[in-house]
Amino acid sequence: MIVVELRKLLTRPRTWITIALIDALPTLVAVLLALTDVGPRPGTGPAFLSAVLADGTLFPLAALAMVLPLFLPVAVALTAGDAIAGEAQTGTLRYLLARPVGRTRLLVAKLVAVIAFVLLTVLVVAATGFVVGALLLGDAPLSSSVSGTSLTQQELAWRTVLALGYAVLAMLGVASIALFFSTITDSPPGAAMGALAFLIASTLLLTLDAANALQPYLPTRYWLAFVDLFRDPILWRDVGFGVLQQGVYVLLFLGAAWANFTTRDITS
Amino acid sequence: MTAARRWCLVLAGAAVLLVAPLAVRALPADDSEITATDLLERVQQSAAVPHTGYAESVGSLQLPVADEFSELAALLGERSRLRVWWRGVDDWRVDAIDPAGETDLFHNGLTTTSWDYQAERAVVTPEPTIRLPRSADLLPPQLARLALDDALPEEVSRLPAERIAGQDAPGLRLEPSMPQSTIDHVDVWADEDTGLPLQVEVWGVDSTLAAVSSTFLDVSLATPSAEVTQFVAPATAEVVVEDVFDVAAGADRFSEAVAPRRLAGLATRPGTPQDRPVGQYGRGLTTMVAVPLWDQAADPLREQLLDTPGARIGSAGVALTVGPLNLRLAPEFGREDRSWLVAGTVDAATVTHATRRLHGVDYTSRPVG
Repeated sequence: MIVVELRKLLTRPRTWITIALIDALPTLVAVLLALTDVGPRPGTGPAFLSAVLADGTLFPLAALAMVLPLFLPVAVALTAGDAIAGEAQTGTLRYLLARPVGRTRLLVAKLVAVIAFVLLTVLVVAATGFVVGALLLGDAPLSSSVSGTSLTQQELAWRTVLALGYAVLAMLGVASIALFFSTITDSPPGAAMGALAFLIASTLLLTLDAANALQPYLPTRYWLAFVDLFRDPILWRDVGFGVLQQGVYVLLFLGAAWANFTTRDITS
Repeated sequence: MTAARRWCLVLAGAAVLLVAPLAVRALPADDSEITATDLLERVQQSAAVPHTGYAESVGSLQLPVADEFSELAALLGERSRLRVWWRGVDDWRVDAIDPAGETDLFHNGLTTTSWDYQAERAVVTPEPTIRLPRSADLLPPQLARLALDDALPEEVSRLPAERIAGQDAPGLRLEPSMPQSTIDHVDVWADEDTGLPLQVEVWGVDSTLAAVSSTFLDVSLATPSAEVTQFVAPATAEVVVEDVFDVAAGADRFSEAVAPRRLAGLATRPGTPQDRPVGQYGRGLTTMVAVPLWDQAADPLREQLLDTPGARIGSAGVALTVGPLNLRLAPEFGREDRSWLVAGTVDAATVTHATRRLHGVDYTSRPVG
């Protein structure tokens, strides 16, 4: 079942078109930076973008900071929202479940496919970022942390791997929410919009001082905390909270998706 | 398993995950028998206590933003996230962090280095005796000591302990006795053993929101390593050595004016230099400063003030009240190409009186440099 879902994901043109579109933005930014040599003014622009003119090895992180707030969650919500609701909309869910396939097993297979999509997208963005950064942008002999200290290639590499892992976990939170909505509606866009509405509300509440007490619980609160992995010493506080928080979201929404899907009447 | 049991399982899990952290946070703090004067004394003597921590400060004062004062406006009007490594008063580092970078201060002996990641620029300056507030001043220990260093025993009383950064911290309330003060009270919670302040709230008169508050969310009393407070510039960074730290330090160093020793009924702050261009008056957080600004700093500020709702214009210049803070920028002073800026947590009448006096008297008598 899992292999079937993975094969379906990898052979579907939509998967690769989505990844290519996500990848296009950071690639375009890298080309523009290389052509103009004009970086963002201090205090503006995504994290790391001001540093990549001197040090192209940081561009995978700048690319991640560009796509993480909007493009990546939209793509993940669309993919995860389609997982169950897509089958229901096309009328194949009833036939899938008519085969000797348990609902929990089907949900797990769908979840694994969504995780694979998240991993694949993040890796493609990072790999493209690394290549265009190395080819087009600065070649400083030594990278520096956000705090100004020098980082060896090994230090930069493992911190980058941690950052990518953190971004994957953040997107798994989005996937769980969308997967839950996907089990309560037969409309894939409806499921994706449900998840996105949740994220947009979270982003808006983060700008409101009156919502201060709620903010540690909002799903987008710690998304960009991966930047803290590049401070010296590393600031683990928000990264730790982010991991815990996303873990809770994944557990809660997957649990809700399981409770709903395994008891739901399948009519389509 | 039935549908009801499945949902009960999920809801029970959700309840545990959501309630557990709230329950831990709601545990009451153990209070202490320490008296207000003893706690005040410990706080006053805590400057050398080494510590490492993460703090957040929130300012609710919406100051008009002008070039030279934009950092000050951000400090007093926004949320600041601060990391500190404090080995002593002459060896510390404070990072003001934001989602895309950080601006760090490294202080070693007589110099302070400011590192701005996004500008890839380090600025080394001599540590000034007079300057505008900076990020490090918003840390609970610095803010508390600014409020309490000159406090009188009869101005303080005890508050119940609170749990701050995982520690039980007895509280102290300061109610300034100076009649000019626009500060209603300052609440401080500190570590009982060392006196290190862990949380501070500054409340203006008749306000429903703290003007400034600062809290440690993580703190350790272990001495940070010497390595962490040393700044070594990255190879690609621009390193600049400048004579002055900010506009106030520049005015104090180069202006020919001399502020009076006593102004509008307020004496020079204890421990601050006299007969300098910049005057500092008052005691604790009841404070007033008089800065002779050159036109290139005063003009944009004046324009910004004039555009600010609530600004008042009179013969003594343009005035603005923001929470407990009153400020007035005097008209340009004759041929001197400068204007006096008077600001402080004192009432508007005191600031106006001070501005009129400064604007009406030529204090030029001091050699430059």
